[in-house]
Amino acid sequence: MTVRVLSKLLAVWAATLTVCAVVIFSAVRIDRARVPAGPYVVSVWQRGERVARTVVSSDPEHALDGDAKRRGAQRIVEQIVDSAPIFGHSWLVLGHSLVPAQDGLSATYLGRTVYATPDDLRKLEAYEFIFGLGPVSLILGIDVNKVLAALSRELGTEPGELLRHGSFRRFAVTSDAAYPRKFSEADVTADAVKASVQEAARYLSRNQRKDGSFRYELNAVTGGESEEYNYPRHAGATYFLARAGNQLHDEQLARAGQRAAAFMKDRVTLRCGAHTCIGEGDQVDIGSAALAVLAYVELASGGYEEFRAPALELAEFVRSLQRPDGDFKHFYSVSEKHAIDIQVEYYTGEAAFALARVHRLSGDARDLEAARRALSFLVKRSPWFLGSHYFWGAEHWTCQALADLWQRAPDRVALQFCLDWQAVNPNLQFDSPPAPSVYDGGISRGPFMAPRLTPTGSRLEAAVATLEVARAAGVSAAEIALLEHQIKRAFAFLLRYQFSPGPTHSMPKPKLLEGGFPGSALDLHVRIDYPQHAGGALLRYWELGQK
Amino acid sequence: MRLTFGILNALSALVLLVGLFGVVEPRFWALDVPLLTIALLELVSAVGLLAKLPWAMRALAVSAWISFGLGLLVVSLIVLTMVFLRGIHGDFGVAALAVSSLIVALLVPYTVVLPAIELLWLKRQSVEPQP
Repeated sequence: MTVRVLSKLLAVWAATLTVCAVVIFSAVRIDRARVPAGPYVVSVWQRGERVARTVVSSDPEHALDGDAKRRGAQRIVEQIVDSAPIFGHSWLVLGHSLVPAQDGLSATYLGRTVYATPDDLRKLEAYEFIFGLGPVSLILGIDVNKVLAALSRELGTEPGELLRHGSFRRFAVTSDAAYPRKFSEADVTADAVKASVQEAARYLSRNQRKDGSFRYELNAVTGGESEEYNYPRHAGATYFLARAGNQLHDEQLARAGQRAAAFMKDRVTLRCGAHTCIGEGDQVDIGSAALAVLAYVELASGGYEEFRAPALELAEFVRSLQRPDGDFKHFYSVSEKHAIDIQVEYYTGEAAFALARVHRLSGDARDLEAARRALSFLVKRSPWFLGSHYFWGAEHWTCQALADLWQRAPDRVALQFCLDWQAVNPNLQFDSPPAPSVYDGGISRGPFMAPRLTPTGSRLEAAVATLEVARAAGVSAAEIALLEHQIKRAFAFLLRYQFSPGPTHSMPKPKLLEGGFPGSALDLHVRIDYPQHAGGALLRYWELGQK
Repeated sequence: MRLTFGILNALSALVLLVGLFGVVEPRFWALDVPLLTIALLELVSAVGLLAKLPWAMRALAVSAWISFGLGLLVVSLIVLTMVFLRGIHGDFGVAALAVSSLIVALLVPYTVVLPAIELLWLKRQSVEPQP
């Protein structure tokens, strides 16, 4: 091949590729900003289920009047803004042709068209198809099987037949549903923050059983409850309840915290050699003990004296697991009575924070020294690893330990560490535009996925703790203003999605869910650690405003 | 040049095989088959060139042409996938675009540039008088 032939060949290839790219792009894109002109999809929901639907071209406020007047019924109007065809009849292409939590899907078969609106897809929990690969799980577009089953049922055919012979369009809508709420940075006021904390804490107290344990995870769209349980998360939720009770002077919340702490103290406290520990079975972790210490300290300082001694005993257990380098052995074999020198995410930070807090109760210099060494270990970065400026773990407990220790054992290296981490976070924060306005301020987990609320909440716990120390340490006003701007935008994102009261039309038990924070815009489950982290961050910010 | 192309083809085959079977998961035939074909052809031509076997130049021509064609196809598929996702999701940010572009930039030297240079060299070999 000569240079001339090669140049011609590459020119033809580039031209063909450009034409194909332009054709594909023009065909699949939809304009979400245009003035809605499409038909109205009117649905009536009752007790969390869709009971009627019609599609009209005008006058939607009078559609399905009879159904809408039924007791407890809610009429939701979604107007189609724009739509685009979905190519071919491929499972793979269909799976990747929808934007999660934003797009709906229509199917036409034998002249009939039916619609799966964003509300329907959220209700079906079909926006994410999770593909498990050993320990890794990948999200590969929407769950085509669920969507095809729902659409084919309405069309009176089989999913396979619909995929082969139906035609599909994706569409964007505007909805008159009041969820997510309209909430901007300017709306993040002290009152709004306090109200949100109260609601989140009340969610936990409402979902507490008589024995002090919680309904671990509730699915808002089915009303179902998970059978699982997790002691570190129970302890974390207890800590949040106790703090909310103390700070907001709310006796009901404090009592809920006391019941949850009594559950740990009386039912799941074990002997681990010479110490007490928290858990069940042959092996326990340091995380449960550390978070229980946090909860006990909070309750003891709120007047529940019965938690003072258990807090000090558990703190001894935590301290006994510390290694010479400041890190901890994260597990303990109850049956063999020895520590297991394995480390996992979060636990070292939790232990550092717990020891810092318990020192206020114990006055024991060993607690303070252990917390100081743990924090120092957590923030150590090798100067030879350039990537340390770009790759970060989940450091929310680290920065809370920094804030708690600042008056007693200030660590400038730790402050710089937390400031550097906060300086990276804006790169992960959604900006609108170009992101949808409802995601503005949320922490991204990838360009094709809806942001999750808990990573945003836990980062905010650290961000507010860092803000507190930055103010005390005399960090520049410009840097502090930037950090606070980032914090308020992220809070606005959380408050938009808190169930206040949430998409009640698609929830069979809305009262139970009130105040909860869901996983994301499309994962409407509330696990006990979701309100703990989001509410904990909000409470910290409210406290800072009171100082 | 025979030695250089032999080593480069062996390296390219190695990079593609390690990348394909060591890094990329899950298995997807549309990507696996073309990349595996290119890697095996390059490996065969590398053996021929390094061992100075009589069929080495012919093997190099076959491997270069097929690598070049499939290389362009793979790059086209990646570019069109990027365009498709951009059409679906709208402006998903500079980072995602940079990562996708990096994937293309990393593939192009092995799957397009190297076979193109080999084809140009083969042509020159065929027209230059042998000493």
